[in-house]
Amino acid sequence: MKQGKKKLYLGIAAFLLLFWVFFPVYWVLKTSFAPEEEVWGMGLPHNPTLQNFRDIFTVRRGSMVEVTGAMLSISPTIVTPLRNTLFVAVLAVFLTMVVSSIAAFNLSRFAYRGKRIVSSYILFAYVFPPFILMVPITVAMRRLGLYDSLWGLMFAHLAYTIPFATYMLRGYFMGIPQELEEAAQVDGCSRFQSFVRITLPLAAPGLVTVAIFSFVLSWGDVVFATVLLNTQDQYTLPIHIGFFLWGGEIVDPGRLAATALVAGLIPAFLYIAIQRFVQMGLVAGAVKG
Amino acid sequence: MGKRTILFDLGKWTYVFPALLVLGLVLLVPLLFAFWMSFQHMPIGRPATFAGVKNFIRIFQCPLFYHSLERTILYAFPAVGVKAVIGLAVALFLNQKFWGRGVLRGIAIIPYALPLFIVCVLFWFVYDYRGIGNFLLRLVRLRPIRWLSYQYAMPSIILVNVWHGWPFFYLGFLAGLQSIPVELYESAEIDGASSFDQFVHITLPLLAPVFWIVCGLSLMWTMGDFVTPKMMTGGGPADVTLTIPIATYKIAFLLGLNYPLASAYAVAILPIFVVLIYLTVRRLE
Repeated sequence: MKQGKKKLYLGIAAFLLLFWVFFPVYWVLKTSFAPEEEVWGMGLPHNPTLQNFRDIFTVRRGSMVEVTGAMLSISPTIVTPLRNTLFVAVLAVFLTMVVSSIAAFNLSRFAYRGKRIVSSYILFAYVFPPFILMVPITVAMRRLGLYDSLWGLMFAHLAYTIPFATYMLRGYFMGIPQELEEAAQVDGCSRFQSFVRITLPLAAPGLVTVAIFSFVLSWGDVVFATVLLNTQDQYTLPIHIGFFLWGGEIVDPGRLAATALVAGLIPAFLYIAIQRFVQMGLVAGAVKG
Repeated sequence: MGKRTILFDLGKWTYVFPALLVLGLVLLVPLLFAFWMSFQHMPIGRPATFAGVKNFIRIFQCPLFYHSLERTILYAFPAVGVKAVIGLAVALFLNQKFWGRGVLRGIAIIPYALPLFIVCVLFWFVYDYRGIGNFLLRLVRLRPIRWLSYQYAMPSIILVNVWHGWPFFYLGFLAGLQSIPVELYESAEIDGASSFDQFVHITLPLLAPVFWIVCGLSLMWTMGDFVTPKMMTGGGPADVTLTIPIATYKIAFLLGLNYPLASAYAVAILPIFVVLIYLTVRRLE
């Protein structure tokens, strides 16, 4: 009897959790496959179609007005923003991994004066809310000629990714016994060689996890993309998607849902793929939320 | 400390130097620059002149400053509270042993795995007058509402933030729960403690350290959340969701393109964040 009651409670809890997680997701999923006359229907579309996905990649949309800036703009296909977002994220991840793994190695292996200050500064940078940097970074990028440039945006993203990656990788490297490197050094490796040949391969799961987290951070950035990008050739996905809202009303729900699905599926998939490590990542120092 | 040790120390510094250089350029230098700018007067097309504390006087005299502070508190505290409750409930639930737990654990992090701007798009559909929000209201015999109107905008965007952010609490609490030794519960059982007693006297106290870290981090990030208000309401209607990040953005880029004033604004609220960061980081280290 008691067992049955417990099962019932667990079932109810599972149902509530599934409903809570899936009610907004379901809506976008079904709308992205709906033909135009069915986009506001509650149930699954009767005539599911891939038209919306075909459209966002090929059909250029009509002119629309962005409300906040009162800026007239022709919204292009998703191709350019997708390419821009990928370009920025891949480059930012690459630079982050190179710089952060070396810095994290240093913080996990060496003892020297000032190390405490360095770790505190990196931790500080990690938890620091980026909106405070909106104004100075914009002014600085304008002076450097990197305003409205994907390179400038990529550089700004390093403010998110490097402290986070350094902090997390430090935790991973600390879990790898130092004796392995010492053995390699006895066999004639230099300190740096022992790091590259022994520690890095052993930390591979950690490196992949951190790279994916950094990728998602860069992919989802709205703060710097909003203030640093100004022409539609440079827009990333978050800015591109903003054009679907016109005067507080959704324009073209089908294509918006398809765009959101394309833009959200990649990070969600990467995240689920490393689900096992997410919790460890959180313990080592998590993603902002 | 001889000469040799200092040189040796310098050698170790070279490893961390690239990271410090980049972080200095993208964090410390902009911060100092903002600090410098907040004391300047910068008319367009003319060189900057020293303005003393004029920008700060303007900020502190402006009702907008106090309004945005109030809005930020009304946004962040309820959001963090609800996220903590949901996170704890789900962590307790998914810490039980039952068939299908692994799948549910994977599903539970989906909201967190989606970038926040995607979550905002999901809720555009929920909050549309024809959308799922009003469908659910009708289902329980309530009248449909305008979700992002003056009256409802704040709770509505809090819900967006909560939906995205609660798995962070769940993950933290689950890790905390798993680190509590089972023996404690077993001996409590032998002593005749009810499961409620066990929860109050074992689970909650042992979860406290994790609780404060997670809450501190989340409070800071929720107060600094630019994405949700920007994508959902843009600070409106009638400034009802004008939190600090949106106010900074508006002063700097929309109202008068006044960088010094926006910098002064950011510098004026910086101490709040520094205190929060200090309190949280002290526990993290």
